[in-house]
Amino acid sequence: MSSKTGSLRVERLTKEFGNGKEKVVAVHKLSLTINPGEFVTLLGPSGCGKTTALRMIAGFETPTSGEVLLDGENLVSMTPDKRPMGMVFQSYALFPHMTVFDNVAYGLRIKKMSSAEIKSAVAEVLESMSLSHLANRAPNQLSGGQQQRVALARAMVVRPKVLLFDEPLSNLDAKLRAQMRIEIRNIQRRLGITSIFVTHDQDEAMSLSDRIVVMRNAVVEQVGNPDEVYRRPASVFVADFIGRSNFLKVEGAKKARSGKASVVVGGVELEVAAQEDALTSKHPVLLVRPESISVTASKSAKPGKSEGVVSNVVFYGNHVEYTLNTDEGVILAVVSDPIYEEIVPVGRVAKYSFDEDRAWLLPSESEQATKEDQE
Amino acid sequence: MKSSGAKYDIFTKLALLLVVVIVGFLIVLPLANILVYSTQPSGSAIVTGAFSDIVTREIIWNTLKLGVAVAFLGTVLGFIMAYTQARVEFRGKKIFHIINLVPIISPPFAFATAIIVLFGRSGMITRGIFDWRPTLYGFPGLVLVLTLSFFPIAYMNLLGMLRSLDPALDEAGSSLGANKWRVFRTVTLPLLIPGFAGSFLLLFIESIADLANPIIIGGNYTVLASRAYMAINGDYDISLAAGYSSLLLLPALIVFLIQRYWAQKKSVVSVTGKPSGRPTLVTSRFAKSFLLTVTTLLTSLIILVYATVILGAFVQIIGVNNEFTLSHFQYLLGGFANAAIKTTTFLALIATPIAGIFGMLIAWLVIRKVKRGSEALDFMGMLGIAVPGTVIGIGYAITYNDPVKIGGVTIFPQVAGGAAILGGSIAIIMVYVIRSSPAGQRSGIAQLQQIDPAIEEASASLGASGGKTFRLITLPLISGAFLSGLMYAFAHSMTTLSPIIFLVTPDTSILTQKILAEADQGRYGNVFALCCILIVLIMVIGGLINLFVRRTQVSVDRPMVAGR
Repeated sequence: MSSKTGSLRVERLTKEFGNGKEKVVAVHKLSLTINPGEFVTLLGPSGCGKTTALRMIAGFETPTSGEVLLDGENLVSMTPDKRPMGMVFQSYALFPHMTVFDNVAYGLRIKKMSSAEIKSAVAEVLESMSLSHLANRAPNQLSGGQQQRVALARAMVVRPKVLLFDEPLSNLDAKLRAQMRIEIRNIQRRLGITSIFVTHDQDEAMSLSDRIVVMRNAVVEQVGNPDEVYRRPASVFVADFIGRSNFLKVEGAKKARSGKASVVVGGVELEVAAQEDALTSKHPVLLVRPESISVTASKSAKPGKSEGVVSNVVFYGNHVEYTLNTDEGVILAVVSDPIYEEIVPVGRVAKYSFDEDRAWLLPSESEQATKEDQE
Repeated sequence: MKSSGAKYDIFTKLALLLVVVIVGFLIVLPLANILVYSTQPSGSAIVTGAFSDIVTREIIWNTLKLGVAVAFLGTVLGFIMAYTQARVEFRGKKIFHIINLVPIISPPFAFATAIIVLFGRSGMITRGIFDWRPTLYGFPGLVLVLTLSFFPIAYMNLLGMLRSLDPALDEAGSSLGANKWRVFRTVTLPLLIPGFAGSFLLLFIESIADLANPIIIGGNYTVLASRAYMAINGDYDISLAAGYSSLLLLPALIVFLIQRYWAQKKSVVSVTGKPSGRPTLVTSRFAKSFLLTVTTLLTSLIILVYATVILGAFVQIIGVNNEFTLSHFQYLLGGFANAAIKTTTFLALIATPIAGIFGMLIAWLVIRKVKRGSEALDFMGMLGIAVPGTVIGIGYAITYNDPVKIGGVTIFPQVAGGAAILGGSIAIIMVYVIRSSPAGQRSGIAQLQQIDPAIEEASASLGASGGKTFRLITLPLISGAFLSGLMYAFAHSMTTLSPIIFLVTPDTSILTQKILAEADQGRYGNVFALCCILIVLIMVIGGLINLFVRRTQVSVDRPMVAGR
């Protein structure tokens, strides 16, 4: 498969349901360019518009406005059956009255391929997904994971230019989900099919994607690769939605000579990287991920600078989680590979520290919200 | 779950157009004509005098009284039977269930005539055993016969609801300290209220619409349906008939609308699809013996009625001269009923697949395709069953005894009456179709709602057009509903009477109409024999349809549960 085709462009895609007062905006001016062979995930909480966006790209929903362009061709007026896209559904949507073979062969038969061609194409894809021995089974005789693989095989065998995934792993148990993630990613890389994946599961998004589109309330909050959305989230919302976060109170935020921001946290002056609106914000907060914070026992009875009282400790074996009450707020710290004897017990004072390079200054949530409303 | 927003494809547009045209000609136009004709002098006199004219007022009152009485008794009986079936353990449960359903496809008059023979003035039981000579003709006889005929509707309705009640609700009640009687009173009954309301309204519609029984057993108790019939067959006044029809149409439609769009929406029964336990059974000795007594009595009565029908067909005059004879059959099959048997079966067989596919098409449009106005479309499809048969028959007679013209141009030929093409048989087929497609529509809708819409979307995303998806995916998946729609359409067409009486011609004699003629003459032996012939025809041909459809369909008896 060449990866020259399959470049997808979405232009100011908007979907509104209902009229007048009952109007609900499901997707608001979504613009996105996806390169051939790229794996992009739409991530967000339920109701953020990600599934509606995907269904507009697939053609199951007609956009209120905006365009969907595949290799320069506008698809908006095209019905789903004419679009060169394959879709994998949350419920798998296998045809219950057909065998595995017939399910996979369905799209090829619609294309009017010869039965010999169909046979070899289906056999090949079943083989590649280790499903050959199930070819004559009915869908209801398969396990969830097998059904999932058949659904994927059925969508792929027609060689679509774009593969669309609508939360395909949400009905699987955790272990199978992790396994299917790897499988999907490997197949997609091998075939080089442009893919859009919808999920509310941040682990799925992080582990699968070249780029993640974080959505909230019908609008895009951030587009970036997994490291960017994790380390340099565009907003408190993104930081909070992806992974766990500490938002520390800071004082005296100002621009430093280095171009970074200079802030005071717990009496200590730090130079940290900052989101572009952070310095104009009245109350910026400092994002520090729990695993970036280290915790050591303090000798003092009362917490001093960069110290707090341990209010909770949970030991997991491979890591330990602390909850500290500090002047900068409640801090969650995850210390990996802990030595059991050195764990600071509840009620004791602990000193916390983190590398300033691992911190990221953000404008506070409420200010961002009002800014959006004004737009 | 329907794809709100996607544009209609060509197949959908054509299907919608087809449905609108069919519904328009098969039901809307005849109804419109009823209303038009009822504004002419003799009809408008009836409509405007509905409350002032003493005679009309009494007919209306008779109709409503009958409707309420049958609806109440039928619902109560249906509930007792359903509750016994769902919550009491006893031998022969399955057989009781089947016997309770038999009256649904019973030929008209079977009940009325058998009840007269058994319980009438010179009834085998009333006079023969108790030397009692009650008057059955009139209100009491009508209530008895109609309740027996229609209670299975309430029974099915309530049984379905009882079975879908989550047993955990009862268990929750008991674990909170309520005894069984209290759980029944405070949990089970309140949850069934929409079911009671729905059954009551359905039975009300059925009983005010019935024509066959008021003709045979009504005596001097005149209802709107029988009065409209008399207006055609006695007064020969179409406008008068249209007037009575309008009066009948109004309550029937109102009650139907309430039933569909209010009572059903009130339903709070939680259909989880995963019953979390086994229903609590009735163990109280008193309750159990009460339920079993009522159930056994009613079921025995049904058996008795059918035994009478079958025996009566093979003896001279049942109860009077019980000598075995085949003379009734010889007479009927020797010429009297041959044409009717052939014509009825032939016309019903033509109507059956049309009604079946039409019902599925509407169901599919309502559930999957139409966004705005799907309820209106659903209602249009249901009109054929919501409107009393008498009204439809009179509407057809008015509309199709001449070609339908708009501005002098014929847009629909004359299809009813002896002078019509094919001897008026097309009108009869049209009536069969519109009267029996709603059953398929309902079962199709029920089945489609169980199927994940993503399955059809998957087909589209694999490149199949709307028509291909309907043929390759949707139809096979709803083939169960399709089959039951076909079976119902055939049985219902074979046994339907009220609209047909107005449409039979010398060339198209229909079995049910023959039964009416014989019952009118008091030749009950022939009535019973005709009923037997009808039952055998329905069973044999129905069975063949079943075999044929099962053979051609792909096996899809597997459950299809939506994944989410």
